[in-house]
Amino acid sequence: MTFEIPKVSYSGKIKEIPLGRGENIITVGGESCYPFHLFEGAIPHPPKIAMEVYDKEPEDWPDTALEPFADVAGDPVAWARKCVDTYGAEMIALQLASTDPNAEDTPADEAAAITKKVSDAVDVPLIVFGTSNTDKDTEVLKAVCETCEGKNLIIGPLGEGNYRAIGATAIGYKHTVMASTPIDINLAKQLNILLGNLNVPDDKIIIDPTTGALGYGLEYCYSVIERIRTAALIQEDERLQFPIIANFAKEVWKTKEVKLSEPEAPLLGDQKKRGVLMEAMTAQCVLLAGADILVMRHPEAINLVKESIQDLMIKGEG
Amino acid sequence: MSKIICSAAIRGAHKIVGTAEAKYEGALKKWGPDQEIGFPNTTYYLPIIYGMLGIPVKTLADAKKVLDKCKKLLPEPVSDKVWLPYLAPALEAGMATFFAEEIIEAIRYLEDPDFYTKGEDPLPDNIWLGAADDVIMRKRGVEFVDGTAPGFAAILGAAPTKEIAAKIAIELQEKNLYVFMCGDHEGKTMSEQLIEAGVQIGWPTRLVSFGPSYMAAVFAIGFATRAAMSFGGVKPGDFAANLRYNKDRIFAFAMPLGTVTDEWYANAAGAINWGFPTIADTPIPQILPTGICTYEHVVSNIPHDQIVAKAIEVRGLKVSISKVDIPMSYGPAFEGERIRKDDLYFECGGGRTLGVELTVSKDMSEVEDGKIEMIGPDLDQVKEGDKLPFAMLIEVAGRQMQSDFEPILERQIHHLVNYVQGIMHIGQRNIMWIRVGKAAVEKGFLLKHLGTVMHAKYHQDFGGIVDKVQVKLYTDEEKVKEILELSKKVYKKRDERVEGMTDETEETYYSCTLCQSFAPSHVCIITPERVGMCGAYNWLDCKASFEINPTGPNQPIIKGECTEPVLGQWKGITDFVNKASRQKVEQVSAYSLMNFPMTACGCFECVATILPMCNGIMVVNRDFMGMTPCGMKFTTLAGMVGGGNQTPGFLGVSKHYICSKKFLLAEGGLKRVVWLPKMLKEELAERMKPICEEMGIPNFADMIADETVGTTEEEILPFLEEKGHPALTMDPLM
Repeated sequence: MTFEIPKVSYSGKIKEIPLGRGENIITVGGESCYPFHLFEGAIPHPPKIAMEVYDKEPEDWPDTALEPFADVAGDPVAWARKCVDTYGAEMIALQLASTDPNAEDTPADEAAAITKKVSDAVDVPLIVFGTSNTDKDTEVLKAVCETCEGKNLIIGPLGEGNYRAIGATAIGYKHTVMASTPIDINLAKQLNILLGNLNVPDDKIIIDPTTGALGYGLEYCYSVIERIRTAALIQEDERLQFPIIANFAKEVWKTKEVKLSEPEAPLLGDQKKRGVLMEAMTAQCVLLAGADILVMRHPEAINLVKESIQDLMIKGEG
Repeated sequence: MSKIICSAAIRGAHKIVGTAEAKYEGALKKWGPDQEIGFPNTTYYLPIIYGMLGIPVKTLADAKKVLDKCKKLLPEPVSDKVWLPYLAPALEAGMATFFAEEIIEAIRYLEDPDFYTKGEDPLPDNIWLGAADDVIMRKRGVEFVDGTAPGFAAILGAAPTKEIAAKIAIELQEKNLYVFMCGDHEGKTMSEQLIEAGVQIGWPTRLVSFGPSYMAAVFAIGFATRAAMSFGGVKPGDFAANLRYNKDRIFAFAMPLGTVTDEWYANAAGAINWGFPTIADTPIPQILPTGICTYEHVVSNIPHDQIVAKAIEVRGLKVSISKVDIPMSYGPAFEGERIRKDDLYFECGGGRTLGVELTVSKDMSEVEDGKIEMIGPDLDQVKEGDKLPFAMLIEVAGRQMQSDFEPILERQIHHLVNYVQGIMHIGQRNIMWIRVGKAAVEKGFLLKHLGTVMHAKYHQDFGGIVDKVQVKLYTDEEKVKEILELSKKVYKKRDERVEGMTDETEETYYSCTLCQSFAPSHVCIITPERVGMCGAYNWLDCKASFEINPTGPNQPIIKGECTEPVLGQWKGITDFVNKASRQKVEQVSAYSLMNFPMTACGCFECVATILPMCNGIMVVNRDFMGMTPCGMKFTTLAGMVGGGNQTPGFLGVSKHYICSKKFLLAEGGLKRVVWLPKMLKEELAERMKPICEEMGIPNFADMIADETVGTTEEEILPFLEEKGHPALTMDPLM
């Protein structure tokens, strides 16, 4: 008797979402099986990694994270270019962190102008994140949509409080949106329904389920991503059949384990290695849970994860 | 549909299409068929035509195709002998009207390029703005979709005086609506009236002077049509989606001021296609039945001081109130505040004086939104330490309001009043008690402000069911007594309604998946006789919650065929739970502890479990910290029950459900209960009495053991035997 690997039968499929524009479109989604279960179904588009770029020079980063970008940190355009040219970034994730009213409170039009410059400077798909401040994000992301018309940016987070304003603007200027909910499958589904009611096309929605860092509630995020995927693939939950983005780099690089220097915490070992591994491990976990886009920071962590994706995408005999 | 209106609309449409043809012929002679026409700076061509037909009108030749369509759409004029329904022909006539008017306006741009200013603001020598270009539309149109501006009033003609015009405009502005103005009445236009009255007009003030002719109405409808294409993702030519989008989302209406001509009727009939009703100040015929529009189609003869309120009601526009306008801070942070004796300035109710609060629903015509009346002295007329009788009567009305929602709204008074800084509220109904602190009075707080609070918060939190709110506050003893009497009648009726509601009388139950965030496969089924296990959601709450938030955690479930009446299983419920638990729970019983018991989240008030030796059931509440006869404390039991797992023999229940006639029906109901903590038994005593009597064991409560009898099965069994507890002789549980 030969051994047969038991196979899951899938009834659903993740929607394919084209990101970016023109010849440089990168499609995500399209899976018809669990992450890397290539023996059960198809994964037409392997998960992608977006490299973070910040709108203003970061102040609270550990040197280990800033070091690869030290020469470009104050210039988002140069930073984005470096990510693409030097590190081969597949996508850029622009974090408009300085728009936070509790930080510099950069005005919306200024943030939009920065975004425009970055989007003009790179050909890869551009993801744009606000700061999860409902009112300010509405202002900023509306301006971004308008200024970058036709670029098919991926903008977010859209939450319960501002999905209408940002969603409608995104429809008007033809961008893709990230529906963000706080680690809850039902809220995620509800927001997708609401976006559908608003007439946001199904090929313009990405789920942002909120992702924490390794050791900081990652297991909870993992379960939610896994459940969203299960619901989408097996339980015919049509409103959850969207690709998932995991925006965790900013969570990882603010943890104590990453920030403490070696003299401060000799037991934790080499500080840089620690940070890189923390980020790579977080990425690896959400990859296995079902994420399609990983927002990452450190080039070395990215290389580790890219290798891992390549390995996982090799189709075996079984 | 009124024959008079339809006949007039069809006549008007014929005239307008005729004018368009004449204009077209003239233009064709002058410029030839290849002459480009269109509205300035837009990628939507002539937007109504583009949106409805998908035809991009770029040249005069293109316009010809549309005019041919118009002629096909135009119905025969209504003759005296025809008595058929007229709705469809009138709507088509209206559609043809808009197509024709767009062509006329496009030719006007050709013939007289400076007729309109083409900007956001009126110029000193020309106040007519004409069609909004794409820059304006992008900036303003999104406001219609995101709710910053719920919609617009398309005003044709002029008010009797400039003062009335200004008043109407300001009222509409206050509701955040755009005012699109066109046409004249006896040579006067609303736009000019506003300027004369010193009101600033233009896009920035949302008072838009489109044009002097009634035909400029197409700029308003065209704006709405483009908004649907631009921000609603509606494709050009998908007229059904465009019209539905406008009906459902853009709260617009036509408001003809002055004599309604055939041409106006034709435009009004056109607007009905978009779901925009007409509210007129003249005594034209009305069209009241609901059909294309959400509610009425044509409402007429409305006095000018009521016309805005009426329009909002007819279009079903929700009032949005962003701020609670009182002199105190307001928010959940102040909920737990206590006003102690030393800080006390004034109090009412709470056994010190008569006090009552009541929320009742009324007919739409009986409630004037925002009206707050104080009858009797307010806080500025009393001195420190005074007490007065008090009654607050809140009257609400809404198209979606049901009297079943009254108690739910009324229950909110407690926390909503408590949110006011410096005020303490305790109790409800006629045992309510309010204390006002000295600091609040110093800041100018009045009892009347409680009305302001309730008006604002009912709109904010319950906009789905409430359209209008008025509040009457009484401190006059006689009046308070009157309200008290009224309240007793209302409470009696309400209580009877709740008691009369059984699982058999209702076809729809509700789900609650609020707790799936931490208990992923858990689905609560809430029936009239089984309150959610957290005790917080009863069937009526769920019903209201669904009205307010239709995509939320409380969804209606048609229970369907009853497959197991004793266990409490229905086909519809089974299917729903199976799906909502994502196939984790295949079957669920509403009335059983042993067979497919309902799963639990973690928020249950009590846990029920079996005591095999006693052949009975025990229930323990969350507050009871001690050991129980099943050998586990509440906390341990909670671990067995929660997390969305089905564990036969363990069940999360609310306190309320224990006294329900459907309580564990499959196991024999309350009769099976052999042990309760003393505190729970006392709490339930009153409600248990009638059930015990119905069981024929009036002293049943005394047969139930508690921790004073024992906390092991061995300890309580002799007690049960001595009392002759019925459970001992019932069918074995296992």
